[in-house]
Amino acid sequence: MSLADIRKKLDRKEISAVELTEEYLKKIEETDGKINSYITVCAENAIEDAKRAQKTIDEGRGGAFTGLPVSVKDNICTDGVKTTCASRMLEDFVPPYDATAVAKLKDAGAVILGKTNMDEFAMGGSSQTSYFGGVKNPYDTSRVTGGSSGGAAASVAAGLCAAALGSDTGGSVRQPAAFCGVTGLKPTYGAVSRWGLIAFASSLDQIGVVAKSAEDTGYILNGIYGFDENDATSSKLAKGGYTEKVGADVSNIRIGVPKEFFADGIDDEVKTAVLKAVDWYKSLGCEITDVSLPSLEYAVSAYYLISSAEAASNLSRFDGIKYGYRSGLGEDYSDLIKNSRREGFGNEVKRRIMLGNYALCSGYYDAYYKNATRIRTQIRREYADIFEKCDVILTPTAPTTAYKIGEQENDPVKMYLADIYTVTVNIAGLPAISTTCGYDKNGMPIGMSLIGRAFDEKTIISVCDRFEKDFERKEAVL
Amino acid sequence: MVNEELTRHLAELSKIEFTDDECAAMTKDMESIIALMDKVCEFDSSKKAYALDAVGYNDLRADEYKDSYPTEKITSNAKNVKNNSFVVPKVV
Repeated sequence: MSLADIRKKLDRKEISAVELTEEYLKKIEETDGKINSYITVCAENAIEDAKRAQKTIDEGRGGAFTGLPVSVKDNICTDGVKTTCASRMLEDFVPPYDATAVAKLKDAGAVILGKTNMDEFAMGGSSQTSYFGGVKNPYDTSRVTGGSSGGAAASVAAGLCAAALGSDTGGSVRQPAAFCGVTGLKPTYGAVSRWGLIAFASSLDQIGVVAKSAEDTGYILNGIYGFDENDATSSKLAKGGYTEKVGADVSNIRIGVPKEFFADGIDDEVKTAVLKAVDWYKSLGCEITDVSLPSLEYAVSAYYLISSAEAASNLSRFDGIKYGYRSGLGEDYSDLIKNSRREGFGNEVKRRIMLGNYALCSGYYDAYYKNATRIRTQIRREYADIFEKCDVILTPTAPTTAYKIGEQENDPVKMYLADIYTVTVNIAGLPAISTTCGYDKNGMPIGMSLIGRAFDEKTIISVCDRFEKDFERKEAVL
Repeated sequence: MVNEELTRHLAELSKIEFTDDECAAMTKDMESIIALMDKVCEFDSSKKAYALDAVGYNDLRADEYKDSYPTEKITSNAKNVKNNSFVVPKVV
């Protein structure tokens, strides 16, 4: 059921906000044990929120979000509700404030069902590095969900919320959405405030949306976008109206297909399904153009150097003193910090911090960090060139479909290389949306992405929606 | 060249304690990760000018006094608090 349909049911009083919330909570209780998509379920708060929402509806003051039950990734702060980043470091952390995106949804009457599982500190593409256990794919529980917003994607795919807030630093909304057969939107950098999103890589992080359809992602974005004086990088260029173009004719859209995204390393089944989607758009009358992003070969390395350098700085705040895990070991101040970080962080987080300090330290800074930032500029230029002749760019979301748990997440280099098709979007600060365009021989969803011009989410949502209207999506059965 | 000496140096910068076994395992991981990162060194930046600051800052807010959060709320997440202060091991 779409968010618009849920809205109608609530407004027509075919279901009350409390009944709707209770239905989701019951389903979470019955099925989340199979997929582990939630770290914290806020049952009591959710019922109270739903009662308030129903009162608002009864008084005829209901809006687009009144009574809509959503989940929130556990790296987005929620006042009075644990926000763990799926880390032992923040196992007991209760934020004293709401993230701006959460506050906007709550003020508009949305019901927060709970906090979703993820890769620790959003560093990963499998959602298996969580301190609270890995997330399992609702299409096949022996497989990963992708990540880092694996809990968000799984919670939507399994029907355990109406929509979900996630975060995307290098593909963390789009890739799990692809693996779990749902739709994931990463907005333009600056479109949604990062205030209250626990920082991983500040120049790349962006709060995004996972939902059942492109239209639904636009629906949620309408509620969370906008300038925020608490985030110095938030923008006034985001204007809303993200579902306005849904249903519009897209046959005049020019679609660029970059050849580098279909070269070595992509699974044949993924390649075939994505190119079939290209043909489908061509049959609609869209102009298909071969384009090129030559610097893609540098993208993974540049992304990991920039994001890890920023992570090394951002995560230096976790010292075991003001908040977070505190070790019982250590005679002096320095030892206390080192032991707290040793015991509080998982291996992947430690690797990123170490890599970040490598990139920034004397002797390596020029060759690694500086070159990575030059590559960032080059990638932005190449995207700008492509958008001179195209309106959207169509690519695969990931080189493979969801793999078996334990198959590759212990090999960091293999994991990093799997981010190849998503990281350039964050590097360039662009919006992109991933949707399902096929299924592999094992029945696992295949994702394709549509990348748009900065602040032109409307177009990619509309082009994506047109495809979804013609594509028969298979529901996950748990 | 990644070796245990470099790993120990990075661990010091990162303020993370490693046992000998952990240090050896991290050195092995870092070796393969840095080999992947070496790709950026091949990028030819001699032909064009490149800005290093990629993020624009928009409409910075005025520097004005505002109430902050109550002390109890701020200290409620710390493991060791006394007289509204964070307790740390003796440093002098």
